[in-house]
Amino acid sequence: METAWIDGKPASPEDALRAAGELLDAGRLPLVTGLRTDVVGLRAAFSLARQVGAVIDHGESASLYPFIAAMRDGGAFLASPAEMRRRADRVLIVGDAVGECDVALLKMLAATAPDLGVRTRGAGRRLMTLGSRAISLPGNAEVTHLDCASDAITDVVGMVRARLAGRRAGEGALSDAAIATVATFLSEAGFAAVVFAPTEFGELGAEQIFGLVRDLNETTRASTLPVLGHSDAMGAALLATWTSGFPLRVSYGRGPAEHDASLHASDRQLSGEGEADVVVFVDALAGAVSQVPVFATPAILIAADPAAPDAARVVFKVAAAGRDHDGVLYNARFGSFVAKPAETTSELPTAAAILDALADQQAGRGAEAA
Amino acid sequence: MLTRLKGGHVVDPANGRDAAGDVFVEDGVVVEAPQAGREADETIDCTGLIVMAGAIDIHSHIAGGHVNTARLLLPEWHRAFSSRPGETALSRVGWTTEETGLRYAEMGFTTVVEPAMAPSSALHAHLELADTPIIDKATLVVLGNDDLLMSMIREGESAGAIADYVAWTVSASRALGVKCINAGGSAAFKENVRQFGFDDVVPDYGVSSRQIVKSLQTAVRDLGIPHPLHVHCNNLGVPGASSDSIAATIKAAEGDPLHLAHIQFYGYGTEGKRRFSSRGRELAELVNATSEITVDIGQVMFGQTVTISSDELRQFAGSKQASPKKSIIFDHEANGGGVVPMDYKRKSFYNALQWAIGLELFLLIEDPSRVFFTTDHPNGAPFTTYPDIFALLMDRGVRAKWLDALPKSVVKMTSLPEIEREYTLAEIATMTRAAPAKLLGTPDRGHLGAGAVADVAIYRPGEDKAAMFGKAAYVLKDGDLVVRDGTVVKHRYGRALTLRPEADKAMKTRLDRYFDDRYGLSSRWFEVPDGALGREDPFKVVPCRA
Ligand SMILES: [Zn+2]
Repeated sequence: METAWIDGKPASPEDALRAAGELLDAGRLPLVTGLRTDVVGLRAAFSLARQVGAVIDHGESASLYPFIAAMRDGGAFLASPAEMRRRADRVLIVGDAVGECDVALLKMLAATAPDLGVRTRGAGRRLMTLGSRAISLPGNAEVTHLDCASDAITDVVGMVRARLAGRRAGEGALSDAAIATVATFLSEAGFAAVVFAPTEFGELGAEQIFGLVRDLNETTRASTLPVLGHSDAMGAALLATWTSGFPLRVSYGRGPAEHDASLHASDRQLSGEGEADVVVFVDALAGAVSQVPVFATPAILIAADPAAPDAARVVFKVAAAGRDHDGVLYNARFGSFVAKPAETTSELPTAAAILDALADQQAGRGAEAA
Repeated sequence: MLTRLKGGHVVDPANGRDAAGDVFVEDGVVVEAPQAGREADETIDCTGLIVMAGAIDIHSHIAGGHVNTARLLLPEWHRAFSSRPGETALSRVGWTTEETGLRYAEMGFTTVVEPAMAPSSALHAHLELADTPIIDKATLVVLGNDDLLMSMIREGESAGAIADYVAWTVSASRALGVKCINAGGSAAFKENVRQFGFDDVVPDYGVSSRQIVKSLQTAVRDLGIPHPLHVHCNNLGVPGASSDSIAATIKAAEGDPLHLAHIQFYGYGTEGKRRFSSRGRELAELVNATSEITVDIGQVMFGQTVTISSDELRQFAGSKQASPKKSIIFDHEANGGGVVPMDYKRKSFYNALQWAIGLELFLLIEDPSRVFFTTDHPNGAPFTTYPDIFALLMDRGVRAKWLDALPKSVVKMTSLPEIEREYTLAEIATMTRAAPAKLLGTPDRGHLGAGAVADVAIYRPGEDKAAMFGKAAYVLKDGDLVVRDGTVVKHRYGRALTLRPEADKAMKTRLDRYFDDRYGLSSRWFEVPDGALGREDPFKVVPCRA
């Protein structure tokens, strides 16, 4: 079985490592990205990035940043899905994206009813969707729909906040009556859960929704369930935070970790507009096929299912974490990391093993050169 | 290899040593002096130096979901973290697991307990701890706002059944003990209750905070968990109500061990025109008079920090004073919690009095084996302020200087200026070594007797106690020389100390069903498997009492 390729031709793993090392040596600023791997793989990716002075980011960090930016700017109330399943008597689903990227969460909330709390238990669960189309959900839950274009929602949330504060809401996409309906739906909740996808509204929209929930907590209880789309990106951001102090988009190019949310973003660097001139791309999870880019610079691809032997200058085929070997992955439903046992056995190396071998090799070369 | 730590002043109260002498180390443990004729393979000259066991921090929030959220919330905190302005290395590298291990080791700390691990965040906490170098670690798992425990109490289930549930939780989460945080208070807050005391009842459960604490105290005792139930009382920080809550909790110990965390935050009365006063003296007297109680302080020091707590009710209340103005409040299963940045100001009457109350408690609680050295990192202050606190405890002159810089209105409200006590080195070693090891049930550390792990901290004594404790001259971890002149010279990983109480099979089956039916979660997700941490030999199992 072939497991490594150089310029599209089968190669021994040793030769491929050497070729990968030469690419890294030739570059001035490497980019370590993709980062679809388990915790041990992420740890190895950070070690490599530190070793070779790379920029490091997850390939889908753009799916997190509206959330991270809004949260660290203004704070937030955050809930776990499992607690909201038992607690929330009212669920407000804001926008259209949630129905696309986590319909399972909505189905779970629609199919269950609150069973905790004097204020919440017993009356069942009412859901309201605020977006450009109704979402059809199973179960007995009562679902109300208010029609509102996605790009008007940030303003509408502002109007709801004004209404709750007893101020005149002003003119907007929804009538006074509709604004009052939303405000009452939330303020009469025993515990309201607001579900939304931060990417749909950007940082400012997410801040507005966090602000709404903060306001609600002056008189009742409410929290949010931000839906992020790529749970492995969230796992990578958490590990990056305890490892470097920052949630991805970090450069070790000048030694210590430096964070810049726009400069060190993977999409900017991968587009060829960035400073990175060689890429290590890790794509070692099973499941949804990620968008491995067409690389603008020389690249080393470490992938569970490489699209083609010439998808990059050097390609390693590795085991998929949580499928071919045990792995720890972030689980959005749980809201934390989960140990996922392998489903099958595999002779393939792990992504971590390749990344570690690469880091060791480069450390050795550094020592020789010095 | 036999290493001789030669001729230092050995301060080892657990073994009654407080004099010049040698300590011998071989294969990672302390050994008896060798027979005549055998030479050490390596000698570290400790002449003129102070030799102690490695220090143990029993309560420091260093890992897990809430700690990591604080890092996320406060990228600017990385610059604020250093207690030593002028050093820029910290600000550039950030507040990371790596830095946590290194900074602790450089001060001679070799074991640190993360005291607030949610069962649902156990794997996350252990992943961070596995990335924290040099030091050994341990965790306390949080119970007391969870639906199952409160339901079991409400239904009148047996103490044995509750103990089985506690055993499963401790074992699955790889904890060294159990912590209870504002028992019932977080659950009540989810019901929109905004004030909750020791005898208040959680709506829907009809169970009081007192009942929860007593049930857990009993379960911990019956399981033979060495560390007593670790309690964060109700009404933290509320003038009057805080000191009432802690007094009621102390009385409720009823002869069985109970550890009360960061009691500085409960030493608040309502006297004076600002309705904020010190009850440090009264609280210290109560602790002195109740021998089954141990406490840690949660000393406040001035400067920017962040509070990280699973006391969701308290963090919500505190979020109004957030500085900078942003906070995160979690509504998770069971406790939830919150992250609220704080800037303790020397010129603030309230903050300055908090500082003084912490020191009153340190100095008025007589037995150094019942009072533990903490800032509740980072809640009262980052752990990097420890050297200054050692100096404050050991030197009246230093205290006088600090008091001079406080608002006069504060000095009138504290008995601190009259307190003459200065901690001796032996008392410091008791408080930070011998007593913590006993409290945690880890007899392999906290002392320098034969058989102890060779965790050794060697300090260069001097007038300036902060300088002495800030940078250890040498630190050995498991016999390895890891620090020289206050700088880490060898990188390695320690282990997490855990208990493995045997959980009842029927309880496991019940929990499988419970988590699945009620939450849609797999009970397996709460478990921390050996292999998950990606480190060789990540755990060291500590036995429960027979
Ligand atoms: Zn604490």
